[in-house]
Amino acid sequence: MAETETINFIVKDKSFEKFAMMAILGSTGDAMDMKMNFFFTFWGLNLLTRKFKPKVAGMPTPMKGMGAKIFRKRMKKFGIEDPWALIKDGVESGNLKLFPCQMTMDLMGIKHENILDFAEDPVGAASFLEMSNGGRIVSL
Amino acid sequence: MVEKTFDYTGLKCPMPVLKTKKELKNLSSGQVIEVISDDVGAKKDIPALLNKIGDELVELREDNGNLIFIIKKA
Repeated sequence: MAETETINFIVKDKSFEKFAMMAILGSTGDAMDMKMNFFFTFWGLNLLTRKFKPKVAGMPTPMKGMGAKIFRKRMKKFGIEDPWALIKDGVESGNLKLFPCQMTMDLMGIKHENILDFAEDPVGAASFLEMSNGGRIVSL
Repeated sequence: MVEKTFDYTGLKCPMPVLKTKKELKNLSSGQVIEVISDDVGAKKDIPALLNKIGDELVELREDNGNLIFIIKKA
């Protein structure tokens, strides 16, 4: 068996597409015994806030919200009941870690109590670079 | 030889991989299971999972558009 690897993701976008990619890559990485850190910065931090509903970026403006509902419905048929449930499983198994960017929280006035409770404590750029040092970084 | 069969037809990426892994976790070394999927992507994805986690793909065959994986827990 290969050694445990870590892949570090920067999530900088709040679209449904990025959210789905994060859920699918994250849960699959967990299944493959890989460690994955997700750093949520700028608009990406919205995904980690309570009650936020991501919209489809790649559709015309009036369709963006409805598009997400349609995608969710189709994904349900594929067996993906709830993308957040997949992510939570990975967090509970210890393979996935979700880090809110502290500076973005300050910049956008997002309070800690509005961040989903299975996220880690907020960190800054230096912490993310330190945990990624020597590993791969992928920007979503 | 095959102790249990899991039918994942209708499910698409990443569910066949996630569910297969979940079942493999509950097995003891040497136990063999059969996984059925009609997801074309699973043909490469299940072997990729097994390669990574170290369990063995004993056999992969196709039957009426279904992929049948025989997997042995390491």
